[in-house]
Amino acid sequence: MEQFLDLYGFASVILHAMELVARTVLLGSVIFWVLLAAPLGRLMPPGDATRLHAIARRTVLTAGIASLVSTFLLGLLGFGALQATLDTGPGALLGANFVVLTGLDLLAMLVLLALALPREAPGRDRRFALLGAAVLVLVAVTFGSHAIARTEGRAMLLAATALHQAGAAFWLGGLPCLIAALRLTPPSARMAGQRYSLLAATGVGLILLGSAGFWFGFIGSVEAVYGTAYGSMAASKLIMLAMLLVLGAMNYRLLHRIPSSPGGTLRLRRFIEAEMAIGIAVLAVAASLTSVPPAMDLPDDRVTWAEITERFTPQWPRLTSPDHADLAIPALQAQLDAEAQRREAAQRPQAFTPGEGLLPPRNATDIAWSEYNHHWAGIMVLLVGLAALLDATGRVPVARHWPLVFLGLAAFLLIRSDPEAWPLGDIGLLDSLRDPEVVQHKLASLLVVGFAVSEWSVRLGLLRGRVRFVFPVAMLAGGVLLLAHTHAISNIKDAQLIELSHLPLALLAVVAGCARWTELRGPPELAKVGRWLWPACLIGIGFLLLIYREA
Amino acid sequence: MPRRLSLARRALLAALVLALSGAVAGPASAHAIVVTSEPTAGASLAAAPPQVTIRFNSRLDHARSRLLLIGADNAQTTLPIAEGGDPVALTAPLPATLAPGEWRLRWQVLAIDGHITRGDIPFTVKAP
Repeated sequence: MEQFLDLYGFASVILHAMELVARTVLLGSVIFWVLLAAPLGRLMPPGDATRLHAIARRTVLTAGIASLVSTFLLGLLGFGALQATLDTGPGALLGANFVVLTGLDLLAMLVLLALALPREAPGRDRRFALLGAAVLVLVAVTFGSHAIARTEGRAMLLAATALHQAGAAFWLGGLPCLIAALRLTPPSARMAGQRYSLLAATGVGLILLGSAGFWFGFIGSVEAVYGTAYGSMAASKLIMLAMLLVLGAMNYRLLHRIPSSPGGTLRLRRFIEAEMAIGIAVLAVAASLTSVPPAMDLPDDRVTWAEITERFTPQWPRLTSPDHADLAIPALQAQLDAEAQRREAAQRPQAFTPGEGLLPPRNATDIAWSEYNHHWAGIMVLLVGLAALLDATGRVPVARHWPLVFLGLAAFLLIRSDPEAWPLGDIGLLDSLRDPEVVQHKLASLLVVGFAVSEWSVRLGLLRGRVRFVFPVAMLAGGVLLLAHTHAISNIKDAQLIELSHLPLALLAVVAGCARWTELRGPPELAKVGRWLWPACLIGIGFLLLIYREA
Repeated sequence: MPRRLSLARRALLAALVLALSGAVAGPASAHAIVVTSEPTAGASLAAAPPQVTIRFNSRLDHARSRLLLIGADNAQTTLPIAEGGDPVALTAPLPATLAPGEWRLRWQVLAIDGHITRGDIPFTVKAP
């Protein structure tokens, strides 16, 4: 049971992200089906109309099942955690608001799935029923959101939540259907694309309206943006929405002049794939935001601008492993002791999720150790980025072996991540594997080896096919996971400052993943841009790791 | 495990080395937080108040929340939470006499948006 509670905070954010992605696609594909495929199908050649209908139906079914499963698991997780912590029977929990709303949500999804099952194109009544069930899903999730628990401005925040989620469905949720629809004959693809751009524009408007509500109800000031986890996550979301708007604007232009050649939609498809990847990252941030208190509720202990500039002012990297003889350590320890005394004197009530507790007190050696790890990782990533840039010039053949640098990183992880255990510590390898965290680290090292060797083999032409996509997908997944991790509940300044350093890393990882993906998939004019962009992102990541500090 | 391990792991993830290594570890969190409490955290009181009131930033499901009084010897007493009333506050009577010493109020609340949060409010009753 303790292990279950240990995983609760993390599992709920990850499940929430999955649920959010699946639900956005479900609602978006219903909108696509009813507002785009059905009316336009009548204007298309019969073959295209049938294919468009099948695309929408298939996406509704797939996203519906994914949404049903993730919503059920998320509800089950909350139910299980509550039952475990209250030590009560399941009957006593059935009336809880979130249980009732999860039930309503599941019911509405089942209705949607039932309505999508018949293969024939939906008639007027079925289309209305599909929209009605989608609205019911939206209502259920809105009434289970942050907004419902607020004491002030509840109606405004409920409206903002509904608008925001509907906007995401209009804009991002229909992208899987759109990308499939671009394989229709060029005139039909153009027709679908032009209609979709109207839906997307509607979605952008709804999202902006919802965002305005969130600003007034949850954030409220510029200081809250950089001073709290909620504010900085919302800012990351905004940056990615800006990227999406740029991509959307490019799509808008392309959608209105799709060439008749078979490869005419290739460039458009790459942009849409990038939009989908960034869309997933945005939804991961949205899921993460549900686990933190709104910025407005944390007026104390915010990180100040002066503290941010002090922390992010570059200093020479820590390239020697710490030991107690290091002269800088006693001074750092004195500073940490003073901070701890100030925190203790404040005596603010702490709050945690089940399974979470106070972090063990930091000492200067811990921090020096961590900074050393970050800085050497930064050097290696910087080397990878520079080597990849050289490789992109095509003039330095040896640079294509850059994946081998990752082998060095794997060895570094294997040696440094668990200093108490083999090979650095006294605990033997087999004994250390009883600790799940050690197992994770050792597995990570092995996976990095596999990842580096596969990418190297691709570079040498030894492996072909889908293995090429391991690298960009890993970058995207790394960025998304970094965005979706859980946060300090109160304004723990250290955690917030670390958060501020990790957010740009995550954003660069997402952009790098999209760029490498585009380089691999073409068309040539976009691949050329991607080839330079992702190494530049890696260099940025390497630099950020090099200036990383924890005190 | 020491904090440096999870940070090292984050760095490696950020370095795009391994997407699924579990870099997401870190302080988990939830939604409802304490706004004010009576007694306040760390208070040193001549006598315990007749009732405890903890106000949160979220509307609560009182029936599925819990409040424990824990003594220095770790003995736990479940306090009966008042139903109805303020939707964002937990209110419960304290025992008539609390012996001098260190006490903790251990609360767990279910916000109506489904988030579970828990925490402690320590206070001291001074000897007369």
